[in-house]
Amino acid sequence: MDVSGIIASNAAKYQSITVEKETPLDVDAGLLIVTDLNPIDEESHNANLEDHLQALARDGVQSLVASLFALPTQRSEDGPLAQLPPPTTALPRAKPLPKPKPPTKWEQFAAAKGIQHKVRDKREWDEEKQEWVNRWGRDGKNRRLEEQWITEVPLNADVDHDPRKVARDERKARVAKNEKQRLGNVARAQGPREVRKQEIERTLATSRISTASMGKFDKRLEGEKKVRGVKRKFEPTEKPLEDEKNASLALISRMGSDAKKTRREPAPEESVLNVRKAVRFASKGRGGVALGRSAAGGRGGRGGRGGRGKR
Amino acid sequence: MLRTIKPKNARSKRALDARLPKEVEDPRTTVFVRGTHTGEVLNGVMRDLMALKRPHAIAFSKKNDIHPFDAASTSTASLEFWAGKNDASMFVIGQTTKKRPHGLTFVRMFDNRVLDMLEVGVESWVSMNDIKTPKSTPGHKPLMHFASDLFDTNPRFAQLKSMLVALFNGEVIDSICLAGLEYLISVSLAPSIPAPATMYPNLVTEDLSALPTIHLRTYTTRLLASGTRIPRVELTPMGPSLDMRLRRHTPADPELLKQAMRTPKLKKTDIEKGLGKKRKNIEVDEMGDVRGRVHIGKQDLGKLQTRKMKGLKGGDGEVEEQEQEGQDGDEEEQDGRKKKRRRESEEP
Repeated sequence: MDVSGIIASNAAKYQSITVEKETPLDVDAGLLIVTDLNPIDEESHNANLEDHLQALARDGVQSLVASLFALPTQRSEDGPLAQLPPPTTALPRAKPLPKPKPPTKWEQFAAAKGIQHKVRDKREWDEEKQEWVNRWGRDGKNRRLEEQWITEVPLNADVDHDPRKVARDERKARVAKNEKQRLGNVARAQGPREVRKQEIERTLATSRISTASMGKFDKRLEGEKKVRGVKRKFEPTEKPLEDEKNASLALISRMGSDAKKTRREPAPEESVLNVRKAVRFASKGRGGVALGRSAAGGRGGRGGRGGRGKR
Repeated sequence: MLRTIKPKNARSKRALDARLPKEVEDPRTTVFVRGTHTGEVLNGVMRDLMALKRPHAIAFSKKNDIHPFDAASTSTASLEFWAGKNDASMFVIGQTTKKRPHGLTFVRMFDNRVLDMLEVGVESWVSMNDIKTPKSTPGHKPLMHFASDLFDTNPRFAQLKSMLVALFNGEVIDSICLAGLEYLISVSLAPSIPAPATMYPNLVTEDLSALPTIHLRTYTTRLLASGTRIPRVELTPMGPSLDMRLRRHTPADPELLKQAMRTPKLKKTDIEKGLGKKRKNIEVDEMGDVRGRVHIGKQDLGKLQTRKMKGLKGGDGEVEEQEQEGQDGDEEEQDGRKKKRRRESEEP
């Protein structure tokens, strides 16, 4: 039996999946790109253009497919998913990078205390109805007290006590508090009020003195302060060269120095811990002095002030 | 400048949020614009390119008086306006004139501003419909192939490559279905003509006719069994086929490009996986143990204590005395430290 033909065809098959080039092909598997940096062969290009292009493309795509099939895969319903490496070709972005959101007061506190974020489901199991109901919103569970048709009234309640109204007012107050906190977070994200005000005033003052008449004929804004101590000053038309040189050098040195840097230092961070509140909590409302005494003396049992008075 | 919209309901808020900048970007939505006059050729070319680009393509079917390379016109403002309206970050503009027949302009945007532009002239064209072969499924990612050394050396062709990749394949994905590799876009150049040597290379203006023709071909791929894990690839022409020549271009403004090339910081999990910064001198061996290599500084061979021999002693007496003094001082200090340590150890 002659198997040489089979072997030869098999060898041809294997050969066709390997690509040999002078400069090895540059494959970027992350973006599915292959770049063939070999110069184009003029002879084959001129002989038959379409065949030449197809052969060139086949060589390229063969090495790209080889590198793609060599990647680690994951199984899925539609067939194996190749896990692509990050691309090596740098492309310009279409939009700038997203800016990180400033953390809310709660997020700052949670980060300082190491509190983990817990995701709470929007829906809650209702034992009575035996189904999932929304915590809030349409048919929300937070309105259960307002909507149930019979409500217990405490014994000492007023005549005009309306349990529905009480529950509703409480809910509305919670919503209002949340909104207030949200607005506070928005305002805090823009920086402290005083700083913002100063910045606006500074910008306004700069723009006022930027006209030739130093803002003399500009419209006044309501409640605007008069800019003091700014006067028109004219340099002499003729000036010694030395003065001019010195002025330029002074300008350059000022630009390089730290004193007049455009970028200001960030404001010192306000602490997330409310010290007053913490002391109140730790001393159970008796104040810092009592807390210190109990920590140092350790005779908290007899009661501080009364005991001292007897002595 | 578009007015800023405040969403009034959840649906419009979701739609606006989808337009916000993202860390990993979506594919570039491309608007295909007709200039004052497009011919049959350009209409066909743009229709076929749109077929490849779908579903991230928007067609402007009416004529627009747009001349992107004319600085005096308001074309840049128009492009920026359209980009904002359609949330598009790329344009393909067709325009044919007597001076520049069958011109196709690719415009790339960054942050709703024009980043760079590139014009090619279509020389010959075969439509997708003229080649009677099976076509790829719309919406599949193409493979891309670039063949010529000029894509690396010539900035004009590097820009072309970057532009075509951004048009067809710019989206970063982390995995791909291997069965879905359906078609290939191949861009190759005619053999480059070496420029004639001149005495004043700086004075020569760029000669566009010296730049080689660009051949853009599309093929569907067939993956055949080869007896190994890697299949053998066969190609079938799919269309469209384009022969083009480079014309005018505007390179990207360096400041804007610098902003556009910023990359997001890698997440901690990615760095642990070994992406991003190269972790030097740390490797995981076959057993899964992490092995590190530590550099302990260069050894000072001058202080190496070799065998003491009488014959080597003597010579410069003064230097030796000074050295000895210094050593004594050191010893005293060391003694002091030792005493201190002893005291410390005695205390408790």
